[in-house]
Amino acid sequence: MDAGIEELLAGGRHARAFDLVVPAYQDRVFRLAYSILKERAAAEDATQEALVRVWKALPGFDGRAALGTWIYAITRNTCLMELRRRRPTVSFDDPDSAEAQHAATSIASGPAADPEHDNLLRLVDALPRNQQEAVRLFYLEDRSYEAVAEQLGMPLGTVKNLLHRARKRLMELARPDEVKAA
Amino acid sequence: MNNPTLIGPCADYEHELVDLQDGELADDRARALRVHLGQCARCRAWAAEFAALDARLATDLPRPALSPTFDARLQERLAALARPAVRGDLRAALVREHDSLVHGLRRVARRRAALGAVGSAAATLCLLAAARSLLAQHAGLLHPVAEGPERWVLLGAIGSAIALAALAWSVARSGMPGLGWRR
Repeated sequence: MDAGIEELLAGGRHARAFDLVVPAYQDRVFRLAYSILKERAAAEDATQEALVRVWKALPGFDGRAALGTWIYAITRNTCLMELRRRRPTVSFDDPDSAEAQHAATSIASGPAADPEHDNLLRLVDALPRNQQEAVRLFYLEDRSYEAVAEQLGMPLGTVKNLLHRARKRLMELARPDEVKAA
Repeated sequence: MNNPTLIGPCADYEHELVDLQDGELADDRARALRVHLGQCARCRAWAAEFAALDARLATDLPRPALSPTFDARLQERLAALARPAVRGDLRAALVREHDSLVHGLRRVARRRAALGAVGSAAATLCLLAAARSLLAQHAGLLHPVAEGPERWVLLGAIGSAIALAALAWSVARSGMPGLGWRR
């Protein structure tokens, strides 16, 4: 698919190339945006914004990077701009920070309508941001390390390490209190 | 600390247990790991706990999809962005076409005027030569007028009149170089 798109781009047929880019990439761009922004509507807006940027920049695409790598980089930048615009009040980037520890503890033991389900989602939210993104994307992409590495722009080994640490941390946080106290 | 999951798996096998769960472990390593799992309660307990977490993450994490109207909204936005560019491109193309047309017409008019001038000069020379020849044949009839320097004044006057007439005809037909063009 990418070879066909790049052939069209080399021939200066940018509009036709973009017509192929949209169906080939829109779902993956959306999943990447969702893994970063964590909200469906915001992810959809970011997907549209990213694809518009791709449309504008496509005539300047020089092929030095793979088309997917280039599109995902645009998507990540779009999402990071959105995150900066939101000005977060509490950061969980440091898993050992007092805020993260407190949030994880209160989340794990707090009341919920469906405690098992809700607690797991909240525990994921308590992970450092890069681990959250990797975990969400890994399961959205049907457990594909390669897809996560390509979309997050990281080496495969880094992604494996991130996922390993994230799931190990989730196992620790998800243990019932009585087991932790044992 | 008697719960085996709290102790964790054997350090040598931890990453392979994860790879096994993710389906990333090579067959020979997977066989060796299964042998180890049969013998090690700690690794077995940790692997079971990891598998349970993996299954929950796979089922419980949201799997949102783009809304059905996404494509239409994207195309609408792209069309809105493309519209001014199309108008601009159209205007530029029309200006280019107009300039090209004017330039072409001017070039044709100049070529015709130049050809007309050359033709006029040639016709004048021919007529002068014919007039001279006639004067030579009928020198007796024109003797009083065409004698000495007056003969050349007469020839010059005839030639100038012919040249002016030819130029006037040429200008009326196609135009003069440097004076613009007209149809």
